[in-house]
Amino acid sequence: MSDGATIALTAMLVATACGLLGPFLVLRGQALLSDAVSHAVLPGIVAVFLLFGTRASVPVILGATAFAAICVLGIDAFRNSGLVRADAAIGLVFPTLFALGVIGITSFASGAHIDLDATIYGEIAFTPFRTVDLFGVEVARAIPIVGTVAAVNLALVVALWKELKGTSFDPEFSRTTGFSPAIVSRVLVLAVAVTAVVSFESVGAILVVTLLIVPAAAARMLTDRLALTVAATVAIGWVSALGGYGSAVALDASIAGAMGMVATGCFALALLAAPRYGVLARLAQRRRRRRRVAELLDRAGAA
Amino acid sequence: MSGDGQPDGATAAQDRPPALELRRLTVSYGARPVLWDVDAAFPAGTLAAIVGPNGAGKSTLLRAALGLVPPDAGQSLVEGRPARAALDRVAYVPQRDAVDWDFPITVREVVEMGRYRAAGWLRRVPRADRELVAEALERVGMTPFADRQIGALSGGQRQRVFIARALAQRSPVMLLDEPFAGVDARTEASLLDLLAQLRSEGRSIVVVHHDIATVRARFDWALLLNVRTIACGPVAETLTAETLRRAYGAAVGDDPEALEEQLWAG
Amino acid sequence: MGWLIDLLPLSYTESVVLVGATVLGVTAGVLGAFAVLRQRSLLGDALSHAALPGVAIAFVATGAKDASSLAVGAAFACLVGAVLVVAIERTGRLRPDTAIGVVLAGFFSLGIVMLTYLANFNNANQAGLDSYLFGQAAGMLLGDVEAMTVLCVLALAAIAVAYKPLKTTLFDTGFAGAAGLPVRAIELAMTAMLVVAVVVGIRTVGAILMVALLIVPTVVARQLTGRLATLLAVAGVTGAAVGATGALISVSSELPTGPVIVLVGFAAATAAVLLAPGRGVAWNARRLLRERRRTLAEGVLIDLETALHAGPPPTAAELTLASGRPASAVRRALRDLDRAGMLAADGDRLRLTDSGAAAAHALIERRELWTLWLEHGWRIELPDAREPDPTDLRASLGDEYADRLVALAGARAEDAR
Repeated sequence: MSDGATIALTAMLVATACGLLGPFLVLRGQALLSDAVSHAVLPGIVAVFLLFGTRASVPVILGATAFAAICVLGIDAFRNSGLVRADAAIGLVFPTLFALGVIGITSFASGAHIDLDATIYGEIAFTPFRTVDLFGVEVARAIPIVGTVAAVNLALVVALWKELKGTSFDPEFSRTTGFSPAIVSRVLVLAVAVTAVVSFESVGAILVVTLLIVPAAAARMLTDRLALTVAATVAIGWVSALGGYGSAVALDASIAGAMGMVATGCFALALLAAPRYGVLARLAQRRRRRRRVAELLDRAGAA
Repeated sequence: MSGDGQPDGATAAQDRPPALELRRLTVSYGARPVLWDVDAAFPAGTLAAIVGPNGAGKSTLLRAALGLVPPDAGQSLVEGRPARAALDRVAYVPQRDAVDWDFPITVREVVEMGRYRAAGWLRRVPRADRELVAEALERVGMTPFADRQIGALSGGQRQRVFIARALAQRSPVMLLDEPFAGVDARTEASLLDLLAQLRSEGRSIVVVHHDIATVRARFDWALLLNVRTIACGPVAETLTAETLRRAYGAAVGDDPEALEEQLWAG
Repeated sequence: MGWLIDLLPLSYTESVVLVGATVLGVTAGVLGAFAVLRQRSLLGDALSHAALPGVAIAFVATGAKDASSLAVGAAFACLVGAVLVVAIERTGRLRPDTAIGVVLAGFFSLGIVMLTYLANFNNANQAGLDSYLFGQAAGMLLGDVEAMTVLCVLALAAIAVAYKPLKTTLFDTGFAGAAGLPVRAIELAMTAMLVVAVVVGIRTVGAILMVALLIVPTVVARQLTGRLATLLAVAGVTGAAVGATGALISVSSELPTGPVIVLVGFAAATAAVLLAPGRGVAWNARRLLRERRRTLAEGVLIDLETALHAGPPPTAAELTLASGRPASAVRRALRDLDRAGMLAADGDRLRLTDSGAAAAHALIERRELWTLWLEHGWRIELPDAREPDPTDLRASLGDEYADRLVALAGARAEDAR
């Protein structure tokens, strides 16, 4: 596989993994959890390095996931106190965990070249160079890893489809029918954390955060069906991955950045030009309504 | 489950334990009790109303009965069993303000939520249940709107959908919280007919309602509530001038005309 | 400000850091309050990410890494980002958090693309621009602190001047609009102030840590007061205290300043949420537990009194049956009553002591008072908005009105006869 194809395929797999979960985050008002988790995992990565002296994938992913879970549970604890709103709870917890990580780096690991961007959080341009032998074929390590996460997310969303739909739409009713919104919420957020952590390592944090939020936001503008929302989110993610890779090569710019830009471009397009809910469509609707009312009034006046 | 529209166990009403029974129920928000030592029983197979002035704790009573609000003291029994263990026997129509109307969900999908419990965790709603969903939609007259997004409906239509969802649960006990708030008169009349029909099929129905005139005309049983139980029993015995004065006190006062108005107009 | 630096018993650099952190704390505390109270806490997160393309543009425009021009660029980009967040929300279909997330991701991606693009042209010069967002407290100069102080004073003065419209808009946007206030302009001004705080903070503690610094003081202050003016003052003081404490700890432990400040802030916020008098989690839990136990004990006391009135002293089992409560609840209530000296032992039969009987009668009287209130309360005009508490009418209405109620009820009963 060529380097370009590897990068594009990795990005598409990340877009799939994120696109399956993103719509639920956006619909539940938890979009910024992804950003929170992306910063909160730092101390986990640092701790693994300090304790075991390794930056190997599996222990780092485990350490990071542990801190992602701490972050999510911490946010829940503040929110459940009823004294701190959800947004403030997020903003209290993740910078604190990030601060712990920074302290860990500067005081204990400064000689170890843990640098915040590429080494820890991954850089998608490097994916073709880190390979693994899979059934005798040499493939980029990121592909089986991210592919597994995407498959797990797909299984999760299919299996929990009605639970996710029900508890997101009407949590109170769901409770009376025996589906605890808290449990469903924990499972979803944990899946987001694992997805984020695993994908960071391959493609970098900002691309994951972008792919969790932006395509889902764009898809919200396009459709009123949940299944279509998820499908559109994944599709927009793929467009971002391919288009982003192409433009990054053309401009010789950051691949992750370019993919984020294409995703944002898709969102802007959807916000403005979506068929029913886009800004332009609404303006047109309003103008048509006004004209009709004016006509009716005219006719009434003439009669 | 029988296939003829009868809920499970719909036998002669007299032999059954009360559909819903509250014993010494006390619930507070903060320091002040919203419900204080409330005793009430709603017999099986009746169309019952919970009536009382604003702030009397009507909605809280339903929510506490279902275990959605933790009580300070007291018990809630559904068909003689603790409510928490008997939630599968209850269908609940909540007040509609807690829902995200922009959510990408269709009318049919909302009604399908009524079948989720029967399907259980992780399993899809079985194909056979689609008929139950269709039947529930038909009964509330929402079949033509089945594929609309929920937010595209009027207030009355949304309420019909929520009642259809409760119907699809096929539970013998139905609890409805202010189902007619913000609903046009025509819809209210047709929903009342539907409730009466359900009652004659053997279901037990408890409705939080503010309109005393309707309750007198259409309901069998009433709980008159004002933080404490004022009266609970057959409508004619419960909603008398005396009890209403005690529940609504200031609103009707000594003025017989105002009381009359409260009784008949609502 | 040199005099202040000289006055402190610390080295020059340490004094600058300490004063800088304190000023930053005040600024972030007071200005952050407006975002937190509008439930836009994480706007700071989006803004601090949105600064990146601004920094890149400023660098291209001036060709140098001059701190003040980079700050102006960052501020400009932040403001554009903030306006876009509001615009996306206004379209009505997306929630605030989604709008914030989209702007955060979009601007940061743009920033990255710009930086890598720049890197291809002049490789050496731009290096380090991307670390702008990480902040460097130790690199703070006296000039930076003075500039921060000026901005802080200006922002505080603006708040003081426009306090009333700000408060009205914050509390009830609809009312503010109806009252003729330029709501959009006021909201823009609040956002602009947040931008000032963010830009100042990025330089000092970095983008991510700044998010916490904007939120912590308001969370603490909210646990301590419900009044906006007090809240702003407490938030300012908390911000200063957190900044100063963090700076002092970092100076003495040689740990990085920004993260230490954030850890101190988190500790303060957690302590406030747990322990705040009358509101904190621990306080609330204890009150709820006590309330439940008291309700239960009172209920069982009345059950027992009723049973004693009706027949021979019941056993605990008979009482449980009669009260319709779970056996464990009755047992616990009896234990509490016994401890309060209200139960008299008589084999396994239950009796009340004199104090127990008195307590039961007082309780029953309170219940009867509520029944009277339901029936006759509407006749009594209350002087203000006081409301009857069903469990203790006398305390909630005052003796005067409770007595009047009893007298009135007596008179009506007399009439009826």
